[in-house]
Amino acid sequence: MTASTVVAVPNARREAWRLRLRGARDFARRFLRRRDGLVGVLVLLVFAVVAIAPGLFVGPLETAVSATGLPLDPPSSAHVLGTDELGRDMLNLTIHGARISMTIGLLATLITIFFGAVIGIVAGYLGGWADTALMRLTDFFLVLPTFVLAIILAPVLLEIIGTDAEFLGIKATLLVIVAVIGITSWATTARIIRSQVLSVKERMFVDRARVIGSGSGRIMRRHIFPNVVNLIVAQSVLTFATAVFTETTLSFIGLGDPFQPSWGQILNLAQATGAPGLGAWWYILPPAACVVLVVLAFTLVGNALDDVLNPRAGVRR
Amino acid sequence: MGSRYLGRKLSQAALTIVAIVILNFLLFRAMPGSPERILLRNPHITQEQLEAVRARWGLDRPLIPDQLVDYIASTATGDLGYSLKFQGKPVVDVIADSLWPTVLLIGLGELVAITIGLSIGAYAGWKRGGVVDRVGSGISLILYSMPYFVIGMPLIIIFAAGLHWFPTSGMTSVGGRPTDPIGQLVDLGRHLVLPLVTVALGLIGSYSIIMRSAILETRSEDYMTTARAKGISDVRQLRSHALPNALLPMVTIIAINLGYVVAGAITAEIVFNWPGLGSLTVTALSARDYPVLQGVFLLLSVAVVLANLVADVVYGLLDPRVRS
Repeated sequence: MTASTVVAVPNARREAWRLRLRGARDFARRFLRRRDGLVGVLVLLVFAVVAIAPGLFVGPLETAVSATGLPLDPPSSAHVLGTDELGRDMLNLTIHGARISMTIGLLATLITIFFGAVIGIVAGYLGGWADTALMRLTDFFLVLPTFVLAIILAPVLLEIIGTDAEFLGIKATLLVIVAVIGITSWATTARIIRSQVLSVKERMFVDRARVIGSGSGRIMRRHIFPNVVNLIVAQSVLTFATAVFTETTLSFIGLGDPFQPSWGQILNLAQATGAPGLGAWWYILPPAACVVLVVLAFTLVGNALDDVLNPRAGVRR
Repeated sequence: MGSRYLGRKLSQAALTIVAIVILNFLLFRAMPGSPERILLRNPHITQEQLEAVRARWGLDRPLIPDQLVDYIASTATGDLGYSLKFQGKPVVDVIADSLWPTVLLIGLGELVAITIGLSIGAYAGWKRGGVVDRVGSGISLILYSMPYFVIGMPLIIIFAAGLHWFPTSGMTSVGGRPTDPIGQLVDLGRHLVLPLVTVALGLIGSYSIIMRSAILETRSEDYMTTARAKGISDVRQLRSHALPNALLPMVTIIAINLGYVVAGAITAEIVFNWPGLGSLTVTALSARDYPVLQGVFLLLSVAVVLANLVADVVYGLLDPRVRS
């Protein structure tokens, strides 16, 4: 009896690994068939490399002091993408903008998904009054015009934490943008994850875990979470798209940091300079194209992942 | 329609509005620096004077419930305080001045986008895999990924700065504005074209994507198989079976979308210097005019809640299944 238990444990473990490996291979095969998803991954890889080491491509970020060109110069051999109103090289600004936009997008996504997942899992698993209360809160945030809330929340948060605060070298203004996106956009994720949890918790293994005496916290971590992690991954990628989109918009209306220019902040400066009316297309096209490419790529990858990981979700978009 | 359904939806909407007002109250009380310190920037002020001011504004009373109740009461009677930026003008007047340009822009933009977006989506979904589907879905996805100002800026560069077909900004000509009503209307129209196209394009992307999937969903329903089996024509299958069912969820989606439309319109207004709520929001934001920001937030959230309420009621009228 004891002998068979000792033998069974490593076997079960090996079996689990074998299943996981097969799952991963299966996933890779199905994802590789999605051409749109692959194009998205490729675009994102390029932007990731650029965002990790912008200095490698264009040197340090140009400032008003270290500007290398004439003001609002159209593209030339010295400045392939032209210059802004301070004479800064647009290629330099755009590539450094990638780092800032993507970092804010990533941090905002992490916060959004964390809150969305925790609230969704807790509400779905516990049910009862906790579920009712959390879902009322979720509905409230879903119906609010979250972008307008973000606009008024940002200056208030900035007053609370103070403009001099800094975290990991990121200035207060940008931290506030991260926080504001997180606060205003977790609701969709919470709803989607909750509905998945509702069906997972009816499955047999949850009952079994409860019967052998596992607590709610352990069941949520060890049994519910692994079964919604697919959904969380797909949702993270889609959230990243919205986070970059929202960051760009918030920076554009003047909530960004001029000394750490994201793409939205560059477009804000372009608008303030009157670049569109002057026909200075080179000031607008590079950051605008980057935003669209990144948001589009994340959306494509997110949709492909969603289809591959949740085949029964059916036709979406 | 069942009065219980209506009652439930009405009370939900009322509760949400109360929650919005409370959020608005708490948010601006959470800021450091009590209101009287901002307004009395005088270092020589005595304790007695400060007390007097606090008493006059009711700041000496507890935040909750006294001040909150006062706030809700004055909000309910339409008193939203006074603007800091616009020489102490009442917030209600400041907002009323910029309301109608936004209503015009969003209203017409929605109308154009609903007509075009739903048509493209329905056709693309019906002829799945066809030319319209592939090109239309591709363009829709790209438009869906573009913030409104990213759509508007190139439009200015091409059609205003480049071709000089339309003015670059504003709602009316500054000099030489026509005096006759028809001339003025034409002038307004010329200024309206580009912002309107921007808002409409921004919306067409998401509307056609959603409509396409709604049509695709109805196509797999049993009643569509029945309709095909009866041998009715393709056009009638679409018009009298697929479309009505696919349009049903669109009612809710368009209402829910209103919050995003408003957000998009804010950035479109900035690009075109359109004198609406969006431009007002940005002016108030850069001047840290909190009463105006609060007022704009209140107005827009209440508008979205009411739009959702209307959508729920309309949906209930159209589809008896949701009333139970």
